[in-house]
Amino acid sequence: MRLHRVRRSMVAAAGVTCMAAALLTGCGSDDGGSEGGVTKLTFAASTLGDPGRGPLLTKWLEEFNKSQNKIQVAPAAVPYPTFGQTVLTQMGSGKGPDLIRFDMPEFESAADAGLIAPLDELVDVSKYDLIKQPDQFMVHNGQRHGIIFEASNYAMFYNADLIKKPPTTYEEFVKTAKSLTKGDTYGLAFRQTEAEEAGVWQDIFNYVYGFGGAWSDGQKLTINSPANLKGLQAFKDLYDAKVIPRGTDAATFRRMFAEGKVGMELNNGGYVTATRGQNADLNFNVAPIPFPVRKQGAILAPIVINEASPAKEAAATFIKWTLEPDNQVKLQEILGASSVATVTKRSPEQLKETPFLTVFDDLTETSLPQIVQGFEAKTPDIRKIVVQNVIAALQGTVDLKTALDRAQQQATQQVG
Amino acid sequence: MTALEQQQLPGPRTGTRRRGSPLGSKWTPYFFLAPAALFILVFQVVPLAQEVFLSFTRTSLLNPTHSTWVGLDNYTRIFGDAEFRRTLLITLIYVVVCVVAAVGTGLAVALLLNKGFRGRGVARALVTIPWAAPGIAVALIAIWMLNPDYGIVNRFLDTVGLGVPGGAILDSPRYALPAILVTTIWQLFPFTSVVLLSALQAVPSHLTEAAMMDGAGRWSTFRAVTWQSIKPTVGLLALLMTIWSLRRFELIWLMTKGGPVGATETLVIDLYSQAFDSKQLGSAAAVGMVGVVVSLIVIAGSRFVARAAEREAG
Amino acid sequence: MRLPHIGLTLRIVGVLVVLGVAVFPLYWMFVTALSGDSELFAAKARLVPDLSQFGVFIDALAEGKAATWLRNSLVIAAGTTVLSIGLGIPLGYALSRFSFRGKVLMTVVLLFTQMLPEALMVVPLFALFRRFDLLDSLGGLILVNSAFVLPIVALILKGAFDGLPREIEESARVDGARPLTVLTRINVPLIAPSLAASAVIAFFHAWNEYVFAVTFIFTPGMQPASVGIAGFIGELGTPIQTVMAVSFLFTAPAVVFYLFVQKYVVAGMTAGAVKG
Repeated sequence: MRLHRVRRSMVAAAGVTCMAAALLTGCGSDDGGSEGGVTKLTFAASTLGDPGRGPLLTKWLEEFNKSQNKIQVAPAAVPYPTFGQTVLTQMGSGKGPDLIRFDMPEFESAADAGLIAPLDELVDVSKYDLIKQPDQFMVHNGQRHGIIFEASNYAMFYNADLIKKPPTTYEEFVKTAKSLTKGDTYGLAFRQTEAEEAGVWQDIFNYVYGFGGAWSDGQKLTINSPANLKGLQAFKDLYDAKVIPRGTDAATFRRMFAEGKVGMELNNGGYVTATRGQNADLNFNVAPIPFPVRKQGAILAPIVINEASPAKEAAATFIKWTLEPDNQVKLQEILGASSVATVTKRSPEQLKETPFLTVFDDLTETSLPQIVQGFEAKTPDIRKIVVQNVIAALQGTVDLKTALDRAQQQATQQVG
Repeated sequence: MTALEQQQLPGPRTGTRRRGSPLGSKWTPYFFLAPAALFILVFQVVPLAQEVFLSFTRTSLLNPTHSTWVGLDNYTRIFGDAEFRRTLLITLIYVVVCVVAAVGTGLAVALLLNKGFRGRGVARALVTIPWAAPGIAVALIAIWMLNPDYGIVNRFLDTVGLGVPGGAILDSPRYALPAILVTTIWQLFPFTSVVLLSALQAVPSHLTEAAMMDGAGRWSTFRAVTWQSIKPTVGLLALLMTIWSLRRFELIWLMTKGGPVGATETLVIDLYSQAFDSKQLGSAAAVGMVGVVVSLIVIAGSRFVARAAEREAG
Repeated sequence: MRLPHIGLTLRIVGVLVVLGVAVFPLYWMFVTALSGDSELFAAKARLVPDLSQFGVFIDALAEGKAATWLRNSLVIAAGTTVLSIGLGIPLGYALSRFSFRGKVLMTVVLLFTQMLPEALMVVPLFALFRRFDLLDSLGGLILVNSAFVLPIVALILKGAFDGLPREIEESARVDGARPLTVLTRINVPLIAPSLAASAVIAFFHAWNEYVFAVTFIFTPGMQPASVGIAGFIGELGTPIQTVMAVSFLFTAPAVVFYLFVQKYVVAGMTAGAVKG
C-alpha cells in the first residue's frame, strides 16, 4: 500500500522534472558547429546594427555564404555601448561568437587574457599588402591576434549649409560653435555621459592628443600632465559654453546632425555612410580637426577569432575571404571613409561622389589608436577611471585639475 | 463531519496511513516538495554559496575558472573605499525615500478611492496601470521624457520657469537621483494603493461611525480606528518596498548606470558594474554579500518590530 | 454647514490628477510613436497622436526583429508560468497541509531567496549554465526565471491552501483517494483565483526579466523583447518613433492582461506576502 503510494508521488516528481526537461530540449540552443557538413559561424560586430552600414555589411556576408557551401556566417549585431561587456563575458566563459570585430581597448584586454586565437598558424598574412601603420597594433610579442577590419581616422564633420568656411584654429572652432548655437540648433556635439563611457573616451582622445597631450609616455601614466589638462580644459570649456546638446546621447545627436540641428562633430570615417543612411540629402563636408597639434584618434577595429571557437579553421577561411582584393574593395565602399586591412584604391566614381575621402586618407600618418600605450590591456580600466573623473569635472563636483590628479592616482594604483 | 470526528474514526482503509499526518505517510510531504526544493537548491542555494566563495577570492570575468584566494581582502578594500561608503548612503536614501513615498502616496490614493463614486472600478483599474508596465519600457519612456532638448518634462519645466540648468536631468549629480526616485515611485504607488485600498475596505465601518458619533474629528478617527487596523498592512508594504528597492536594477541601470559620478549608484548597481565593467568578480561578490546582509538585517528587524507590536497588542 | 459637494468635487479632481499621472507616460509613449520626425525635434511638442503615422507599428512588426523579440518573450513567459506553477503547487500544498522536519527551514529559504537580487546570482548561474549547456537558449531562461519566481508563487499558493477547509479533502481521503489525486482533483480547482494570481505574477516576472536574458542570450534571434528594447538605448540611430512603438507593443499586452485579472493579482500578492 505505502510503497504504491510512494511510487505515485515519485511519478509526480518525475513528471515535473520531465516537463522541465522537455521544455529545455524543446527550446534547446542550436550552438555553432556543423550540421550536415555545413559549419555555422557567428560574426559579432556592433557595426552590423548601424543604420546604413549594417544592412550593407549583412549583404556582404551573404556573398561569402553564397561563394561556397561549407561555411555559413551569421551576423550578430551587438549594440555598441554593451558590446565589450557582452562579448567578453561570453568569451571569458569559453563561449561566444566565433568571429568578432573588436574595438582596440577590448581587443587588447581579450588578447592579454588569452581569449583570442593566435592567427599566425591560421592565416598567412605575407600574401597580403597590409597597411603597416595600423597593422602594427595587431601583433603582441610577435604573436598576431587580429587583422584590421576597419581603420578610421577622426576628422571634423560639418554641416556645409550652416558653415561656409570650416574653422582652422581652435579659436575659430569655438567661435563657430558659439555662433551656430541658438534655439534648437547647436554648434557642436560630443558624448559626455557616463552611460557612453567608451564613446566619451573616443571623444576626449582628440582633445588630449590635439593639444599635445598623451595618456602615457609608454612607461608610466601621464593622465594629469599639463598638456592633457589644457586639452581637457578645452573640452570642458565647450561643455560649459553650452554649445553642445548636453545630456543627449550619440544616437540622438547624430540624428540631430543628420537633421541639420548640429553644426559640427568630430567623428571617424565610418560616420559618412551612417549619416547618409539617415538623411541622404544632408550637405556635409569634412576637414581636419583644427586643434593646435595635428594628432587625432583612430578607430582600429580588428577582426579576431575566438580562442574558444570549435571552428577556427572555418573562421580563418572567412578572414582570408575578406582579405581578397575584390572583397576588400567592397568592404571599404560599405565602410565609407574608413580604410581596410590592405591597400585599396578608391574608385574615381567614389571620389567624385565623396571628394573629402582624401582628407581621411591624409590623416593616417598622424592618427593613433585609442589605447594607453604601454598599458594596452589595462585600457578599459584606465578608461573607466579617466571618464568618470572627467565627467565629475564637467558636472562641477570637482575642478578639472583635481579630477585629473585623482584619475592619475587611481589609475596608477589600478595598473599596479 | 468535522475534521476532529474524522480523526477519531479511522476508516477501514486508512488505518496504516495515520502516522505523522492525516493525509498520508510521513514521506508524502517530501515527495510533494522534492522537485521544487531541488530546483531552489540548484538555482539559488548553490549559486549563492559559490558567490560567497567568490567574495573571498580575486577572480577575473575574463578567466572566471581561476580564482586566487585572498581572504578578507575584498571586504577590507570596499569598506576602506570612500566610494563604497557613498554607495551605501545612496542605497539608504533610495530605499528610505522609496518606502516612505510609495507607502505615503499609496495611502493618499487609497483614501481618495475609498469612498464610493461612479466609475471607481474603472479608476482603480487605470491607476494600477503603471505597476503592470515592464521596467524596461518604463526606463525607456522616462529617458525620452527627460531628454534635455526634446523631452516633455524639460519643455514643461521651461514653460513654468523651473528649468534645470542645462536641462540634462539624468546627467546632473543633483537631479539624477530624484528623477530615478520619481520614476520608481510612479511604478510602485499603484501597488501600494491597491493593497491599502483593500485594507481600508476591511476596516469595520461601524467602528469609524461610532468614533465619529463620539464627536471625534476626521483626523482623530483616522488615527484611532483606521490607522490601527491598517497598520499591519502598512508594515508589510514597508518591508516589501524595502526588499524590492534593495533589489531594483533595470530601471537605474538603464537610466543612469549608477552615474553621474556615482550619484545613483546603489549596491546592486555597484555589484553589477564591478562584475561586468571592472570584470572583478571577487569584489562584486563582496558588494553583493553586503547587500544580502543588509536585507537579512531588515527582515530580522521587521520580525522583531512585528513581535513587539503583537506583545503590545496583548 | 457642510458642503458635501465641495468635498466630492475635490475628490473627483484628485482622482483625475492621479489618473493623469498614472496614464500619462504610457500615453506619451503612444504619442511619440505616432509623431513625424520634424515634430519630434520641433520647438513645440505635439500633444496628440498623429494617427496617420500608424504605419510605424506595422513597420516595427513587419521588420521582423520586434516580432521575434515578442515571440521569444512570450515563449519564456509562458514556459516560466507553467514550470513555476507546476513546481509551486506541490510545494505550497506540502507547506500548507503537512507538518514535517525541515518545514521551517524550507519556509525560511523561500523568504530568503525572495530578497536575492538577480544581479548577484548572474555570475555563478552563468558558470552553471555553461556547464549544462543552457546558455543561449530560451529553455535556460525559463529555468532560471522559474527559480526566481517560485518562492512567491509557492507562498501565494500555500496561503490559498491554508484558506481551504480540510473537511473536503479529508472526506475524499476517507474514500480512499491518494494524496496526489486529492491535490489535483479537489484542491487545485478550488484555488483557481490564487492560481490565476500566481500565473500572472510568474508571467510578468519572465516577461519583464532583463539581467539574465542580457547575459545568457548571445544570438540576436533568441533575444526577448526586454533585451531587444534595452539595446535601443545608445544604439546608433534607431528612430525614437520605432523605439517607442516597439516599447508600446511590449507594454500593451502586459497592461491589458493585467487589467483583466488585476483583482486576483492584488489579492494573491497580498495574501502570499501576508501569510509569508
